[in-house]
Amino acid sequence: MTPFAPPLMAPAKRGLPAHLPGLPLAHAHVLPFAPLLALLPGLPPALPHALPQRLLLALLLALPLALPLALLPGLATLAHAQTVDYGALEATFGEPVTTSVTGKPQRATDAPANIEIITRDDIRRSGATTIPDVLRFVTGLDVRDYGLGSADVGIRGYNQAANPHLMVLVDGRQVYMVDYGRIIWAAIPVQLDEIRQIEVIKGPNSALYGFNAVGGVINIITYDPLKDKLDTATARAGTQSYLGGSAVGTGQIGNTAALRLSAGGFNARDFPAGPLSPADRASRQPPYDGNINADSRWQITPFVEAFGDVSAGENRLSDQEPPGVFGTERLSTYAVRFGVAADTALGSLGLSVTANSARVEIGEVNAALPVTVGEAQSSTVIQASDLVKLGLHHTLRFGLEFRKDADDSGFLTGGTISDQIAAVSLMWDWEITPSVTLTDAVRVDALQLHHAGILLPGTGLTNAQYDDTTLTEPSFNSGLVWKASDDDTFRVTLARGVQLPTLLQYGLSLRSTALVPPTVFLGSPDLNPAIVWNAELDYDRSLPPLDSVLRNAVFVQQTDDVVAWPFGTPLAAVQRGTPIFDSRNVGNTDAAGAEVELKGQNAAGFRWQASYALVATSDHTVLDAGPVPTSIVEYAHSTPNNVVIGGIGYSRDRLELDLLARWQSSYLDFRVNPQRTGLVAVNIDNYVTMTARVGYRLTDTLTLALTAQQFAQDQLVETAGPPVQRQIIASLTVRL
Amino acid sequence: METHAHGQSAPRPKQTAWWGFGATLAGLAGLLCGAPAAIAASLSPQELQVLAGAIAFMQPPPAGGSVAVVYAAADPASRQDAEAIAAELGSGLKANGALLPAKLVEASALAEGGFAVAIAAAGANGPSLGAAVRAAHLLCVTANLPAVQAGFCTMAISTDLRVQIVLNHAAAAASEIGFAAAFRMMIHEI
Repeated sequence: MTPFAPPLMAPAKRGLPAHLPGLPLAHAHVLPFAPLLALLPGLPPALPHALPQRLLLALLLALPLALPLALLPGLATLAHAQTVDYGALEATFGEPVTTSVTGKPQRATDAPANIEIITRDDIRRSGATTIPDVLRFVTGLDVRDYGLGSADVGIRGYNQAANPHLMVLVDGRQVYMVDYGRIIWAAIPVQLDEIRQIEVIKGPNSALYGFNAVGGVINIITYDPLKDKLDTATARAGTQSYLGGSAVGTGQIGNTAALRLSAGGFNARDFPAGPLSPADRASRQPPYDGNINADSRWQITPFVEAFGDVSAGENRLSDQEPPGVFGTERLSTYAVRFGVAADTALGSLGLSVTANSARVEIGEVNAALPVTVGEAQSSTVIQASDLVKLGLHHTLRFGLEFRKDADDSGFLTGGTISDQIAAVSLMWDWEITPSVTLTDAVRVDALQLHHAGILLPGTGLTNAQYDDTTLTEPSFNSGLVWKASDDDTFRVTLARGVQLPTLLQYGLSLRSTALVPPTVFLGSPDLNPAIVWNAELDYDRSLPPLDSVLRNAVFVQQTDDVVAWPFGTPLAAVQRGTPIFDSRNVGNTDAAGAEVELKGQNAAGFRWQASYALVATSDHTVLDAGPVPTSIVEYAHSTPNNVVIGGIGYSRDRLELDLLARWQSSYLDFRVNPQRTGLVAVNIDNYVTMTARVGYRLTDTLTLALTAQQFAQDQLVETAGPPVQRQIIASLTVRL
Repeated sequence: METHAHGQSAPRPKQTAWWGFGATLAGLAGLLCGAPAAIAASLSPQELQVLAGAIAFMQPPPAGGSVAVVYAAADPASRQDAEAIAAELGSGLKANGALLPAKLVEASALAEGGFAVAIAAAGANGPSLGAAVRAAHLLCVTANLPAVQAGFCTMAISTDLRVQIVLNHAAAAASEIGFAAAFRMMIHEI
């Protein structure tokens, strides 16, 4: 008998109402979100495994009980309650505030992790039209461009096609795609104009965010419609026949309700295909992107705030996928989230329910995928937390999370591969002395896999194997911050992050008849998660005479049990003449690096930044051992070891001038060979890419800007894929 | 009786001593030249802005009233500091969507009511002020950290290099003053 067995399947038979599938009737009446949950895509039809089930039920039962209990004592003592008011805290403390590192609000300089906050001014002055364009000039980050609007971003190396090392969130809502664990940046339903700040945490942060937050976390914080009245519109036009724009509008009903609507997108002619094979060239189509988002907040009582957001997007982008092929994908994405935050005597309570879904059509014309492939992805996440300050010097955060991810594709997975994850976490922040703070966070995730459908026959894989697959993994983050003086801050951090194999690494069941001979690519339910250990020492120093801050970091990182795609692993078997490749753990990889950054601005209107980042990576895997490389998972050579970033800007009256430049050393990149029998290793020479922007405020509400991206050359080879062309964009922004 | 630093100006940490030294020299030079030395308020305009931000996180926020700038009647320097603070406030302190006008008072006048917050001028910190703000349930703000450590005043604000807010939890509780959880997590409580 599999774990998918009765007692939890039974409720339906016991007369469970149709709108509450999978939950025992006895519990249904206490679940305020139960009807909502039933409507959300991706909700589990049953709760198959004992541990996640118990944790989930504990979560669902505890919250409705805990919330009113917690609110009652709060009635007498509280007058305000809300999600974190970033604007008010920033205005009071004179620097950006973040909750991304520990869950508690803190100044970036106090956070027990290496965090970089990109402000709204930074974003505007960068002239960027996409978020990766902003991140390109952040120390320690790498960006791989595949075309207009399409890129992968990595933190401290380990960047690759469909990079699964990164966790990206919008106001705390996870936005990664569950198939490859990748980020489709253009599909994130947020316009640059509505972003308050982008928070970049370097290094693992699994103890707060769970699986996949191993390379780092990028949290995009938007304006709060209840507190920030934002009405703006931007129109852009430029080379590559680029036409785009965005509009953001906010409506407020006093201080009690608010709604912000935003929409935006672009249409363009993509960069030329360059060295791509004929098949990859044929699959390349002009990109477009469109997103719409509604973000609402309600001040239900003086101490309870509710929020909800709904978004939808449609885009078509060219990118690179793990086999090394370049293709075009069309995505339809939807997301909905509801939640409540309450400031009570028991702490700041939070509860949210999020559902993401995406319909992916891979229209590649290549050997492995000769037809248009449809793929439906979904994830449902329920999160609850309590953040409380105990006494004068201790802050605790308790967290519970349940999530279900599913990828449904008959062609790729022979049905639906899904997981259910239940997690419990605890963060403890201890202000030992006014200048020394210790933060420890631990989280335990329990996973249950499930496969429904027809797996390729003869491979030995069965649905039961998946249903029997469970794993429980702890992760932790520990950080000691010592403010040695008003100018000097030392930070020591240690982390254990967990990178879960992606759903396709677990559940791929693909037979490619286009290859000669026909070849089978399999996932594996036996994969171990990759474990990422990270230790880091940071030193920040304020330099008042220079109006600057100097930041230094050294880190070492080790990843055990690297998970590799079946597209490059050693041959697993040959069955009746059919080669079989499978996903597997292939060994370890190490990285060490250092970063130095000087950043500042003065009252005369000048601003500057200069940084150097070093990353050295060594692989100890079984991949790419033969004469011809077969796997893009080749970190040692595919990471640019040295990166220098510089920038200078000047503002005076209505004028803004900015210049940003990035030099990176050479590295090795890969694309599939024309015969589809392996990869071509391409040496990418060191290069400089530069971006300049001139902005002029015509009136108090109207700003005209001209941006030149990658302007030093007509086109620049940044990857083994299409070269990146010079791009000139003019924009007109109205801000009321 | 006030703690040690209730003199002409609030104590400033570390290298600000050099500024103080420089300012003293400048003052002496001014006296020698026959020009009056400018009196710097113990709370800078930046620190008053921080106070405005802190008021927004009070639970409950004060419902109007004025800003009591408390001085010690027997200390002319205290009166001078209070006047300097009031001058910085100008038409009032903009906090939480309201304009709170400044009013120079002695500690004993706090009992009359009508105040949203009390600012302790240099020389005003002491047991009598502590008792007065507790009785009036007022937030007391000062630049004098030792006064907050001693419980005479509730909150110390400093903006040297970076914003520092120190809150005496017991003093706040005695005055029945609360702050939003997010704010409490970002300040230093003693």
